[in-house]
Amino acid sequence: MSNNILYIEDNPDNMRLVQRALESRGYRLLQAKNGLEGVQTAESEPVDLILLDINLPDIDGYEVARRLRASSKRELASTPIIAVTANALKGDAERALEAGCDVYMSKPINIRELWARVEAFVPTP
Amino acid sequence: MNLSFLSHLECSGCGEKYAHAEIRTFCPICQSPLLCRYDLDAARQNVDRDEITRRKKGMWRWHELLPILNKENQIFLGEGDTPLLSLPHLEKELGLFNLYVKDESSNPTGSFKARGLAAAVSKAKELGIEKVIIPTAGNAGGAMAAYAARAGLRAHIFMPKDTPFANIEESRMAGAEVILVDGLISDAAGMAGEMARAEGWFDVSTFKEPYRVEGKKVMGYELAESFNWQLPDVIIYPTGGGTGLVGMWKAFDELEALGWLENTKRPRMVSVQAAGCAPVVKAFNEGASFCDFWVDAHTIAAGLRVPKSFADHLILEDIYESQGTAIAVSDKSILESQRQLATMEGIFAAPEGAATLAALKELIKQGWVHPEEHIVLFNTGSGLKYIDHK
Repeated sequence: MSNNILYIEDNPDNMRLVQRALESRGYRLLQAKNGLEGVQTAESEPVDLILLDINLPDIDGYEVARRLRASSKRELASTPIIAVTANALKGDAERALEAGCDVYMSKPINIRELWARVEAFVPTP
Repeated sequence: MNLSFLSHLECSGCGEKYAHAEIRTFCPICQSPLLCRYDLDAARQNVDRDEITRRKKGMWRWHELLPILNKENQIFLGEGDTPLLSLPHLEKELGLFNLYVKDESSNPTGSFKARGLAAAVSKAKELGIEKVIIPTAGNAGGAMAAYAARAGLRAHIFMPKDTPFANIEESRMAGAEVILVDGLISDAAGMAGEMARAEGWFDVSTFKEPYRVEGKKVMGYELAESFNWQLPDVIIYPTGGGTGLVGMWKAFDELEALGWLENTKRPRMVSVQAAGCAPVVKAFNEGASFCDFWVDAHTIAAGLRVPKSFADHLILEDIYESQGTAIAVSDKSILESQRQLATMEGIFAAPEGAATLAALKELIKQGWVHPEEHIVLFNTGSGLKYIDHK
């Protein structure tokens, strides 16, 4: 296992927060600023877990999750995906899980919870 | 003499300390709730617990252990010192000997939310904040509107559209701007958060500022005082956002540090949720540190429709530490218990409060409580505020 976590997120503040939190635990963070870039990175790099913001500037997180699950890179069918969203609007959690995400988290991201969620899938290096 | 021994704010997650004179929401480093910390050594030397008992009734008689520094900023509408009532008929019915209810319905605006909002709005005023915003499933909105009106602050409230009519009306009556949201409290929280960020409103969402829990913790002080500075064996508490449960456990820590308790035996804390929205119960049963977001939350108890509390790790820590438990009850059993409290004891409880009796009956069946134990139920509000939902 390579300990690579891909975070698909357009908000630089959230990206910095998560980068600091995960790198402090020895993970390597791959960054994508929109959905299409996220899918491309997941398909071209070794990725052990994906953190996926739902509100992205191009395709939304649900569509990203669907594309990842249907990708020709077969391991993406089972790569853990943690959905993250600021709005927590009615049905968001259900839609994220239906689209293929494994876990749903709402922002603000509690770092201790993030560590626990990530470590449940990818043990601390 | 100090009005308050407030020392600093401390992150409940990473332990980072922050000055209390600054406006703070939650920890910018790890995004966990911030908690008020006091110079309890100085308080122990300077405050006499029995003198507090002799003071004029109300939450602010505990002012040394509350975060307001200037008396003129204490907004008082009569909150606190709610009755601890014995339940003789239910004792007989259930085979118990020491059953009580802490009846929070006598607070201003008819619920325990008054305590937290009294503290939060008072502190907002002290910090120079002029406009406050809150997402709420009901009673917190009415309470915030009332205290904001008294403090001269502008108030904006996001509520699910199925919020009890009384909450909507009392908020509007107090001059708050009320937005009804097609969704849950979590939807309302998202919208309130966005507006707070975009327009500079101070968000007093549960645990997203450090002061509501300070008002709620006074329930713990009052309980200790009522039991002659000992604590009951079991506290059964309805859990939505969890401020009261976390607040009381914080109060017990502070009382112990102050040396005010006659012994250090702590109560077992029971978190009660509705079967249709029980993230804490699920997490407790799995031994987890955090809750999963509860999908498709539904229950008649509006205050329990919280799919995930921002302070879930604190709630769970306190239940584990107290050797307590978490239990889910059906809406049917809540309604039956609500009627039972009213017909047998004359208490028209909020559904959330009635849920604690439903949980107690289940705990008796499980043998989890013993007949001679001192058991306290919490009725968090008046049933009168929910009559449009019947």
